[in-house]
Amino acid sequence: MIVCIAVVGHQNNPLYLQSFTESDDALKLHHIVHCSLDVVDERVNNPKKSAPTLSETFLGLLYPTENYKVYGYLTNTKVKFIMVTTDLDVRDADVRNFFRRFHAAYVDAVSNPFHVPGKKITSRTFAERVSTIVKSFGLNSAG
Amino acid sequence: MQEYPEELRTPPVALACLVGCPDVHALITGNLHSLQPPINTIALPDFSKISVISKAAKENPAAGSVKPVGGIVKRDWLSKHRTRVPAVVAALFSSDHVSGDPAQWLQVCNNLENIKATILGRNIKLLVVVVTQSGSKYDTNEDRMISLRKHAEVDSKNLIIFVPDDPLELKQSLNRLGTACAELANAYYRDEGRRVKACLERKNVGSIELHIRYCFKVAVYAEFRRDWLEALKMYEEAYHALREVVGISTRLPPIQSLVEIKSIAEQFHFKISTLLLHGGKVVEAITWFRRHISYYRRLNGAPEVIFLHWEWLSRQYLVFAQLLETCSVTVQNLTTTVSIPADKQTEWEFYPPYYYQLSAHYLKEKNSYLEFAISMSEDVGGIDGNVESVVASVYVGQFARLLEHEGTYAMQALTDDEYVRYTLAEGKRFQDSFEIIALLKRSFEAYNNLKSTRMASYCGVQMGREYFVMGEFSNAKQVFENIASLYRQEGWVTLLWEVLGYLRECSVGISSVKDFIEYSLEMAAMPIMTNNAAPSFRDCCPAGPPSLSQREQIHKKAFGLVTGESGTAPSENNGLKVNGDCPLYLEIDLVSPLRVVLLASVAFHEQIVKPGARTMITISLRSQLPLNVEIDQLEVQFNQSECNFIITSDQKPRLAAISHVHPDRRVETAPTLELPTSKWLRLTYDIKPDQSGKLECIYVIARIGPNFTICCRAESPASMNDLPLWNFEDMTETIPTKDPGLAFSGQKAIQVEELEPQVDLKLDSSGPALVGESYILPVTVASKGHAIHSGELKINLVDTKGGGLLSPREVEPFLADNLHVELVGISGQERADHSEVNIDNIQKIQPSFGLISVPFLNVGDSWSCKLKIKWNRPKPIMVYVSLGYHHSSEPSSQKVHVHKSLQIEGKTAVTISHHYMLPFRQDSLLLSNIKAKHDSDHTPSLALNETSNLIISAKNCSEVPLRLLSMSFDLEDDDSFIIQPKEEKFREPILHVPGEDFIKVFAVIPMGNCSTLKTGAVSLEWQRDSGLGEGFYSCSASSQVTKHRLPDVNVELPPLVVRLKCPPHAIVGRPFTYSVTIQNQTELLQEIKYSLADSQSFVSSGPHNDTTFVLPKSEHVISYMLVPLGLGSQQLPKVTLTSVRYKAGFQPSTTSSTVFIFPSEPPFQVTDIGETRFVSVTE
Repeated sequence: MIVCIAVVGHQNNPLYLQSFTESDDALKLHHIVHCSLDVVDERVNNPKKSAPTLSETFLGLLYPTENYKVYGYLTNTKVKFIMVTTDLDVRDADVRNFFRRFHAAYVDAVSNPFHVPGKKITSRTFAERVSTIVKSFGLNSAG
Repeated sequence: MQEYPEELRTPPVALACLVGCPDVHALITGNLHSLQPPINTIALPDFSKISVISKAAKENPAAGSVKPVGGIVKRDWLSKHRTRVPAVVAALFSSDHVSGDPAQWLQVCNNLENIKATILGRNIKLLVVVVTQSGSKYDTNEDRMISLRKHAEVDSKNLIIFVPDDPLELKQSLNRLGTACAELANAYYRDEGRRVKACLERKNVGSIELHIRYCFKVAVYAEFRRDWLEALKMYEEAYHALREVVGISTRLPPIQSLVEIKSIAEQFHFKISTLLLHGGKVVEAITWFRRHISYYRRLNGAPEVIFLHWEWLSRQYLVFAQLLETCSVTVQNLTTTVSIPADKQTEWEFYPPYYYQLSAHYLKEKNSYLEFAISMSEDVGGIDGNVESVVASVYVGQFARLLEHEGTYAMQALTDDEYVRYTLAEGKRFQDSFEIIALLKRSFEAYNNLKSTRMASYCGVQMGREYFVMGEFSNAKQVFENIASLYRQEGWVTLLWEVLGYLRECSVGISSVKDFIEYSLEMAAMPIMTNNAAPSFRDCCPAGPPSLSQREQIHKKAFGLVTGESGTAPSENNGLKVNGDCPLYLEIDLVSPLRVVLLASVAFHEQIVKPGARTMITISLRSQLPLNVEIDQLEVQFNQSECNFIITSDQKPRLAAISHVHPDRRVETAPTLELPTSKWLRLTYDIKPDQSGKLECIYVIARIGPNFTICCRAESPASMNDLPLWNFEDMTETIPTKDPGLAFSGQKAIQVEELEPQVDLKLDSSGPALVGESYILPVTVASKGHAIHSGELKINLVDTKGGGLLSPREVEPFLADNLHVELVGISGQERADHSEVNIDNIQKIQPSFGLISVPFLNVGDSWSCKLKIKWNRPKPIMVYVSLGYHHSSEPSSQKVHVHKSLQIEGKTAVTISHHYMLPFRQDSLLLSNIKAKHDSDHTPSLALNETSNLIISAKNCSEVPLRLLSMSFDLEDDDSFIIQPKEEKFREPILHVPGEDFIKVFAVIPMGNCSTLKTGAVSLEWQRDSGLGEGFYSCSASSQVTKHRLPDVNVELPPLVVRLKCPPHAIVGRPFTYSVTIQNQTELLQEIKYSLADSQSFVSSGPHNDTTFVLPKSEHVISYMLVPLGLGSQQLPKVTLTSVRYKAGFQPSTTSSTVFIFPSEPPFQVTDIGETRFVSVTE
């Protein structure tokens, strides 16, 4: 199950962060997303170590915490998507697919003429779409 | 890792035992220890002590297990093999004893038998060493040696002759002994390993526990042999076998069973990790660690002792982190070269901080569960005092009660209940918080070193929380403050909210009301708009969940505290208070995070203003606080404090407590000073700056209540940064001023111009200056509208061309010669009304700079002075004169400046030239002239004792007429060089107009006979022509002197002098005499050839062509009678003379042989002027 999804801007500032958890670890998810930015930086700045992942937007597993797995995705405009899941056994293809759909939703949201680039995403439609994508991720992996 | 016993932490070292001959033990021990791999030794001084290594009564593992197995691995097995059970026994015998009398030999044999008996059960290898002296080496009884070897049943190579007293022999013996020891030890461990392995392979091991134990033993034996691969394999097998025990072993109660398994798994895993990491297989080690953790993490155990599980897990991470750290060099190399499978390991898993952090996390988990368990047990009835006698049992991971029974001790197994109580009692004894902080700190520092600031921050947050829980508020505050800046910078509002919440509580803890208010206000002004905080945020931080209502609550609390008027009881504020005794003063600068609380933007409507003129200023305030803020008084401060003013609200009566402001201050009122949320409060006032210069608004100070002040640094709207945190919010942009142009270009500073000077400064130029004279430059200061107080006149002389001003370098001492132009004085300081001149005025004069003070002048007065400037070389310069004055007598009044400049050319007045001429119709034969004919710049030659003419010509190069006063010579030697007249003062000054030449002829008679005669200089005295006798320039009467140095001359005695003689004019048909006189000044007879050329205009009589001799020191005259035939200016018949001795010819010049023929007697009287004729061309 995806417990958190985040969009992070150029200055490593959160543009959108939504957690899908009922337990009281929302703050911890913020921390996890924030920490994962270090890994993204590391991968982007030291392309030698992660040569296979540089050419594509999908950054793969960023780091495992004791209960979560964190995946990253870097768009061409250097906006970062971070996804935190509690599933310990996730197929890469599922995650890729998820990010692809999420990216599409993000592109639609920032294409809104009333959206100012670099500001937080407040669109309700985007939030709804994201929660649909997140829910379907659970279904896909179950199925 | 440190808590593991040493034998587990370090790789095992083989053990040898030395018996007998104690005097050589030290030698052998040292040598064995320095071997590679080293061998430890037990040294037994005599053979009776051999029993210490003898085998204790113990069942043979090969004999099968009849008794139930007590545990998996014995606690002291490893240390026993490292310290007590040797692999080799070296029996040392003295050669004297071996080859000694039968009694000694018998003793040797007995001892050997004893050893053999002792080591038999353990299969320990035997090595026989015979210690002998180098001298008696060959005295050894061969038979006895052979017999000894047979007795000992050792190979010949294991019978070593040891010679301690010869260095070479000693070395050989030690080498042999070392090799034999190492070989035998290896053989021993191999045999032992094989023996145990054989048991394993026979599969007749009674229980799984024994199977694990045998695997472990084989692995340890392999380690003794340094067979790492075998060791790793066996450890892994043991580890896997151990898993099978989980849940099925009923040997122990369930809780203790799991504890034992985990303890052993921990040891096995430690061994495996160490072997892998030291073998450089980092990736495998990490994978292994992951598997280890993922398997055992599920085995939580019974809920009442679940804290043991977390403690165990924490230790796993800690130990692995330490292991990883010890071989971190290898890790660094590996991560760059080995490509990591994308989904296998991630970057952080290669770095120790990751594990440290998790270790801390689990330790914290343990802590919380432990606290819970302790509180539960206390509820049940406390922990009984029966735990003291519980000790670690002989088996790893087991505990037992030690019972003392009639002087003997016995172990009694514990029940689970007892065990739980024991662990709780143990757990209570230790405080883990420090350890958690230490772990987090390590992780924090390591992450920082890796430049992973966010990871480090997370560790920092955890560290801070731990400090906070422990009540160490100042430490917590320090940690949190560091982290807060990162979160502020990156705009992680939620994380910042948490950190600030802790900081706010820490401020309460350390009773810092200022910090408390600062953090409260920052939190209240954070961009959190949602009101329904997610339930998941509950209780996550001390300040409550991030929500709008929470912000409002914090806002109210903070303002309640600072104004002191809300109903909050002091107890609620935890002793924090703001009152008259401890007022609160906050300062907000351009980088303060509190800019969101109060932002002051100040814009002048104009950029430049005249002093005294009014201009508008707009002060815009903005606050992001969630509720409106009522400001009681605003003070605007400028760098010119006279402009400061105060704004009060006219709605609210001024508070008595804050009305004690400067009485002179201007007080303005505003309709309202209520600051609405996220909206600009714009206040526009006019302001009248009086002082020139920059007027800058520095602070806007808001006073809220009697004791609370916020001092906010003013910002220009043009260069205002975005609000921190809010710049990422999606909200409409607002501008601080109504006028958008002003919002983009407005500045908080304005330039106030200087006062318009109402004083005239006049420089009167009188044309170009002349080199040498003291040029007078009159300066007039005339007041038109300002009285002049303490005026100062500055004069600067500057070269118009820039470089090389007056002196080549400033540092050089000022020498008059170096200066081309200098200011020599300022004179004639007088007022137009001729009143007294202030004597003690400042006067500073330097060659290029002058400073004088101007006396007080009333309106309408004027004052003038004269600058005296002297040019030493012709050079154009710029004179800058500036007057600075105060227009009123108040010292605070502004200075006003007037500047004037003038370019002045400096010119040379006269140039003097000279040349020498011989007298008319007289020529001297100067030999040097003949010789040095070709030298172009030869010095002029003059005839000794003969009169020559010196013609001095002075040219006026300036643009002004001059008056020439006199001309004089300064001769170096009056006797040897006579000039006539030596000095001539003109009767009245001669007007010398520009461009004209003034020529004067002097007679020169050189007297001294020397080749180069120093002559002297000619001086021309002149002065400026003052025009129509107007005496304006009082100094113009002083004359200047221009000097011209005459070059040295050659003086020599001419051997021959020729003079022509004829009348100045003639009349047609009337004969006259034309004679040529040749004077021989030598002591020699001179032969002279001469000839006369015929001329059509004259009829001549006399010798035409001849050679004559002139006697020494005598004259010869050749005379002709001529009758003129033509009229007008006629050429006389040309006479040519040639000196045979000097081969020098003479021909008179055309001018000197011309005569004017009149047709009849001219109507004037001719007087004979003789031979000496002076001709002055000008006359």
